[in-house]
Amino acid sequence: MDYLDMGIAEIHSALVKKEVTPLELARLALQKAKENKENAFEYICEAEALEFAATLVEPEENNLLWGIPYACKDNFSTKGIPTTASSNILEGYVPLFDATVVKKLAEKKAVLIGKTTLDELAMGGTGTTGHKGTTFNPYDPDHKHLIGGSSCGSAVAVAAGIVPFAIGSDTGDSVRKPASYGGLVGMKATWGRISRYGLFCFAPSLDHVAYFTRSVEDSATLLNALAGRDEMDSTSSFQPMDNYASGLGNELKGKRIAIINGILDTIRNKKLISAFQKSVDQLILAGACIDYVDFPTELLHAIYPTYIVISCAEATSSNANLDGIKFGPYRGGATYQEVMSNARTKGFSELIKRRFVIGSFALMSENREELFERAQKARARIVQVTNQILADHDAIYLPASPSTAPVVGGSSDKLSDERLIADNYLQIGNFAGLPSITLPLTMLDGYPIGVNLTGKAFDEKNLFGIAKSVERITGLEGLDVNVRKEALL
Amino acid sequence: MKGISLDVLKDAANRLMFDMSEQEYQTLLVEFKSLVQQMESLAKIEGLENVEPMTFPFECSTDYLREDVAEEPLPRDEALGNAGSISDGQIKLPKVVL
Amino acid sequence: MNFEAIIGLEIHVQMKTKSKMFSASPNSFSRMPNTEVTGFDMSFPGTMPRPNKQAIINAIRIANALHMTIDPLVRFDRKNYFYPDLPKGFQITQEFHPIGRNGYLDILDKDGATKRIHIERIHLEEDTCKQIHFSDYTLLDYNRAGIPLVEIVSQPEIHSGTEAMHYVEAIRNIAVYSLTSDGKMEEGSLRVDVNVSLRPYGSTIFGTKVEIKNINSLKHIEQAIDYEIQRQRACLLSGGRVAQDTRRFDESSGRTVSMRVKIPAVDYKCFPEPNIVPIRLSKEFIQEAIDSCPELYEAKKTRYIEAGLPSIDADIILSNLDMSLYFDEALKKCKSAKTLGNFMIVEVNAYLNRKGIGIKDYPLDPIALAEIANYQEEGYTHKQCVEILSYCLENACTPPADAKRALHIEMHDSDENAVLELVTQVLNDNPQSVADFKSGKDRAIGFLIGQVMKKAKGKFNPAVVAKIMNTEIQKR
Repeated sequence: MDYLDMGIAEIHSALVKKEVTPLELARLALQKAKENKENAFEYICEAEALEFAATLVEPEENNLLWGIPYACKDNFSTKGIPTTASSNILEGYVPLFDATVVKKLAEKKAVLIGKTTLDELAMGGTGTTGHKGTTFNPYDPDHKHLIGGSSCGSAVAVAAGIVPFAIGSDTGDSVRKPASYGGLVGMKATWGRISRYGLFCFAPSLDHVAYFTRSVEDSATLLNALAGRDEMDSTSSFQPMDNYASGLGNELKGKRIAIINGILDTIRNKKLISAFQKSVDQLILAGACIDYVDFPTELLHAIYPTYIVISCAEATSSNANLDGIKFGPYRGGATYQEVMSNARTKGFSELIKRRFVIGSFALMSENREELFERAQKARARIVQVTNQILADHDAIYLPASPSTAPVVGGSSDKLSDERLIADNYLQIGNFAGLPSITLPLTMLDGYPIGVNLTGKAFDEKNLFGIAKSVERITGLEGLDVNVRKEALL
Repeated sequence: MKGISLDVLKDAANRLMFDMSEQEYQTLLVEFKSLVQQMESLAKIEGLENVEPMTFPFECSTDYLREDVAEEPLPRDEALGNAGSISDGQIKLPKVVL
Repeated sequence: MNFEAIIGLEIHVQMKTKSKMFSASPNSFSRMPNTEVTGFDMSFPGTMPRPNKQAIINAIRIANALHMTIDPLVRFDRKNYFYPDLPKGFQITQEFHPIGRNGYLDILDKDGATKRIHIERIHLEEDTCKQIHFSDYTLLDYNRAGIPLVEIVSQPEIHSGTEAMHYVEAIRNIAVYSLTSDGKMEEGSLRVDVNVSLRPYGSTIFGTKVEIKNINSLKHIEQAIDYEIQRQRACLLSGGRVAQDTRRFDESSGRTVSMRVKIPAVDYKCFPEPNIVPIRLSKEFIQEAIDSCPELYEAKKTRYIEAGLPSIDADIILSNLDMSLYFDEALKKCKSAKTLGNFMIVEVNAYLNRKGIGIKDYPLDPIALAEIANYQEEGYTHKQCVEILSYCLENACTPPADAKRALHIEMHDSDENAVLELVTQVLNDNPQSVADFKSGKDRAIGFLIGQVMKKAKGKFNPAVVAKIMNTEIQKR
């Protein structure tokens, strides 16, 4: 346990008191990053971090992020720092500009110490498909368990106490699922709340900047720093910002929380269900009003294929810029077709190619109506039903995953309802662009597992308030592998 | 809808400017059949055909437009700095014939 | 058998905005390759499109000039295909919801009658990067990548090369006079793709379409289409079938030749662009775009003619936007459009040609030219005014009034009584010349007029002297 296992406010207080300096923190974070055995990093920005941290001398009392080290998923553009999105097709690519979130954090004087691993091009949920191989769960020194993806490296960086927060991206559940497996708070705000400029597009209509922290409070602190309209992202919202930390003390009394039967019912892990129910009982005790609501089963079954079709279709197009001509390894060829084909055949892993073919097939004129448009229609229905629930409720509350961290190479029945529904329902939050936060619920057999709260669009402040109440119930604020906590549930 | 066969998938892949191993095409074929089946079951959702396809997560539109003001362009060396094949300040490719 | 030619045109107009369609890169047609590029134009990962307000205003103006229904919700789509000139691997365009639909344009057909051509759609999109082909390699210049384009698609209602030429000319005039584009076909800022097919009169089935690409002047449009119609007719009459083909116009032979390309059927896999939320244009915004549109070609022409400029002169002045803008400025201060037009067409043009410059570099400002033209209206002779003009140009744009003074130019006296007095005197003094004139020696009258002018020391207007001399000599 050291400074980097603490919360942002606590570290800030130490920095302000000059008990520790940004440079010392950066050194410590860099050292922990280098020693990390879980394959969390694509690139450790040692020289850049030390140089920047050395310039931070006079603490800024009103700036919680001053001198705080952090890590960023390697699918965010970082000027002068190699960025590969864990794909060979971007080997050697050095961006010319900073993503807006990276720029904002630099302006806040947070110190970027490394770029983290991901599933190749953020397309995956396992943390196994990046060009540097599998990223492991720090709760298992034997490396038999996964941390999940696609923001695997960022999840590890926070769960292993290397940094107090890390930036990720969430197109399906790529932050909120690994947050469950890593005992972390994983937050994605409303679509358009945080600028995506500089985030490598995967499926723009579903893509969100998201991030990991170890407490709800830190999560709110981060949103205060990251949210806001950005000229460079024309989809970013003009909605006025809140002080997102200002609702953390809110009472649960009068809050209406929905639990969707059709999702909860597919979960088979009895210990999980029991812990979840205990948390529900506590929420009721704290004054929340809990409703068990229905969601048409056929729509729950539609989530996964709808997600695959839309995300793959947008992805095949969004990644068509990767042709080896303007950036990335140029592998030559006798014709331009060969130049592109050599770059793309060697640059993408097979999984990525399969997804591109699926997406492209869904968009072909003969298939469009039955695949792409049908998926867009199903998305509309799913969103409609979700928003109907949220019209009467402050949030939807459910386990964030049906199980703890999966084992490496483990196979489960892909077509079981648990897999199809409970393992994929977080995608609803992407379909509808809703704010959605995962936080640890309990420990099961030594592994954390999380719950998720999804709220109304642009209602983040309220969502943080409810999440804070859940955190009080679980007692798992500040959890990481070095700060094992007794779960209360 | 277009029938799915190995040839169709290979053609689709080649149009996306890459190739895959035979084994991967087989995996893809299986994957596809399952997906298409699931998508067909979506057709049974009542009233789905009359739903407006959704592109954006929620009703959003803007009246904002970027003013027509030019910014400083990238220095040419930087713009081309990541390209693997350049000549005379330009990207160089084998002769492009239609 | 008699055939009817069915011609459809797709015109791409490149805009001369300050920045590009979806990025703030400069759009100033630099000749230095890859110097007008920002990250978006080269599709660096994480860059996002930012639609250009002026490009949308321009499109609204063109749509309005073409009497189109304007969609107040501007939406963009992706058209996906791989080609070296397409940095993103897709083009952002308006496949599903063009900004303008269902318009028309009235043109003159080959007999000079007005004919209405319906226009299917106009939409906004971005240009591709430029490929420069060498014998064994190709270079890519991204300066052009992302320049705003508006594409105008006609209904297949054009039936001859002449009509097509008039149609393109009218579209070009709208594009140029709305200040959207410089409309230079030879430089590719206005590109025309033509589809030509033939069918027997009365048939409703379209024949095989042949596309003609890269035609780089108005005249060539007419020639290329007329040649193509003849070629297809000959082919059909000899019992052959027209092959689907993409052809180009060969200027030296005046023929279309096959480009011998096999363009495989491309499925563009279009879908809505998820990185641009729909843009809602208020009624006020659309109206303002229309109201603030610079005066267009046709309106200017009508105004010029109403001001007294002969139609043929109006055409000459309007053939050059800058010329007409100069003319407009001068006209504000000028008493006669006709006189001013004459100065522009003759003296000004001669000067520009001699110096090899454009009107923008003409040294004299429009007000000064108007002043000189006004002198002529006031009674100075054209010759005198030309002298003043020359003096101004040769003497660092001296104000015309100063030039007139320096040249000691005085207005001719047009008092007819004074003229009559001198004419009578000269006739009396020169009976021999009068006799010569009467016996058929026409030249004698010139001598007599010369005598009058000499006595008047050049003060009389020669035209007035000639008129009175003619009358008076008849009386003798």
